Amino acid sequence: MTTLAARWVHRNLFAKPFDAALSLVIIPLLAWAVYAFGHWALVEAHWQVVGGSFKVLLTGIYPADQLWRAWFSVATLCAMFGAGLGLSVRPARAAMVAVASVAILIAAGVAAAIDVRSGLLTAGSAALGIAAWVGAHRSGVDQRIVLSGLLAGVVAIFVVLSPPGFEVWGGLLLSVVLTIAVSILTLPFGILLALGRQSRITSLRVISTAYIETMRSVPLILVVYWIWIIVPLLAPDTSVPGLLRGMAGFALFFAAYVAEYVRSGLQAVPRGQIEAARSLAMSTWTLNVDIVLPQALRVVVPSLVGQILDIFNGATLVFIIGLTDFLRAGQMILADPQNSGRAYEVYVFLFAVYLAIGGAITYASRRLEAHLARGS
Amino acid sequence: MMNAIQIPESTASREVIVSIGHLNKSFGAFHVLKDVDLDVGRGEVVVIIGASGSGKSTLIRCVNGLEMYQSGRLTVDGFSMPTVADRAIGGEKELAMIRKGVGMVFQQFNLFPHMSAIDNVAIAPIRVRGRKPDEARANALRLLERVGLRDHAHKLPAQLSGGQQQRVAIARSLAMEPHIMLFDEPTSALDPEMVGEVLDVMRELAREGMTMMIVTHEMGFAREVADRVVYIDHGRILEIGTPAEIFDRPTHERTKTFLSRVLRH
Repeated sequence: MTTLAARWVHRNLFAKPFDAALSLVIIPLLAWAVYAFGHWALVEAHWQVVGGSFKVLLTGIYPADQLWRAWFSVATLCAMFGAGLGLSVRPARAAMVAVASVAILIAAGVAAAIDVRSGLLTAGSAALGIAAWVGAHRSGVDQRIVLSGLLAGVVAIFVVLSPPGFEVWGGLLLSVVLTIAVSILTLPFGILLALGRQSRITSLRVISTAYIETMRSVPLILVVYWIWIIVPLLAPDTSVPGLLRGMAGFALFFAAYVAEYVRSGLQAVPRGQIEAARSLAMSTWTLNVDIVLPQALRVVVPSLVGQILDIFNGATLVFIIGLTDFLRAGQMILADPQNSGRAYEVYVFLFAVYLAIGGAITYASRRLEAHLARGS
Repeated sequence: MMNAIQIPESTASREVIVSIGHLNKSFGAFHVLKDVDLDVGRGEVVVIIGASGSGKSTLIRCVNGLEMYQSGRLTVDGFSMPTVADRAIGGEKELAMIRKGVGMVFQQFNLFPHMSAIDNVAIAPIRVRGRKPDEARANALRLLERVGLRDHAHKLPAQLSGGQQQRVAIARSLAMEPHIMLFDEPTSALDPEMVGEVLDVMRELAREGMTMMIVTHEMGFAREVADRVVYIDHGRILEIGTPAEIFDRPTHERTKTFLSRVLRH
């Protein structure tokens, strides 16, 4: 065992003089950084600022007596995530143990930071997610049923969350719900744009191309802001909540990128497929829906999942139209004078959560890519 | 112009199902088909031979509208095939009517890779003819049985050999109950040991009276199943005749040269 370790160290860290020199510089530096951060995190940092502000960080100014709605969303999201996972990833024992341990750790953290009830609710949501994972995989339920279930879940979250008003949505909840809603909305719009760009009808082709190229050449923040100010101009008598205006801006912007991904997928479908469908007298609609799109989307699913990350990270920009997303909620906490000087704690927490979610999405995208490559 | 082509009147007794007259087709400046005349009778098996690039594939691809032609006349099942000019302003309806009655088998099989064999066969009857899914799948299973692939019905194309894929493709075309089947070099992409199984299925179809237009390099098969053999050279039909006439007593020098090259081995 020790010789094995020695050989590993020799081969990977001290194989050549230059490697050895580099290792001698970097390893102590890294060790010092880890020690310094660990010392700060465990000894000096005052994590109460994060623990005490959990409610604001996660839900913004959502009314405290309505929080069951937020918990419903968490449970539904866990179940949806589990069911989606069940479609492609086998619930192996090791994977389940890993997921369950992380869930227990988080639940324990929540219990310590807020109260036992919240910890139990977290654990319950995680258990629901794991059950959905195993259930969806074992039952071999049809993909289409799971996908409709996911859509129904999103609608249910919206319906349950909306009664207190869209203005009070905030924190991580807002970021996540916005990301999911926008990801779903961009898909049909992006597909239509991609098909429009390839259409034989000139006006459709020109409009789609112009739309895509315009959106791709301007910044996201401009589109979001522009939609936010133009909606009241177009509909002066109705007041569309800022959240919905923000979502519209995001969806309109990212649809152009979805269209470009889908277009690359459409081009990857061999010509022979279209000829075979045509020779069977299929209409253009059937040809696209049953033959071309399933093959095209298969190719671009990893890119589309990767784009969810772009949307999630881009969601930090909604502060410009007065919404309180996760990052903004952190800043709001720091604006409280009694929390001044606790910026490091709050930003380290934000960083860790963004990293965890972003990492999970990147991992999912990579897994999907491998999964789809194996299937073809 | 060589207009002295002797067309045997073997179609006289049959109802004409595909009628081609003075058909011209070009890709840009390249004139692919020149003044082609050909009538195919119901139940007839016509094999089209010729060197690669002679326009034989293009000719049968015109019959189901995968290629458009510039001038001339092409009627299939009594429907007149729209020309390039017609297609620019519509003509989709006639095209769909014709295609419903014309099956096509491709060199590269072109099965839908995301569907099992049975779904490949059932999808067009469901979506185009409006059949009930259960009925269509039951019928698909019968067709797969007919081509000897009942046990492979639930496999994806990638799990099947080339010969099996091509037989699924034939079943897929048959599912639309076509009046005529087009075969575009159906065995050219196959390993030699799989050619036989596909030709067997085609032989069976011919015996059952299916009207077929076949582009192939399998001369032995052509001699066996063809009612007439058409020799195309540089986009022009040089000779039409019974297999015996074409293979044993070709009249044109170019036909002789071509046959001596392909029959040598």
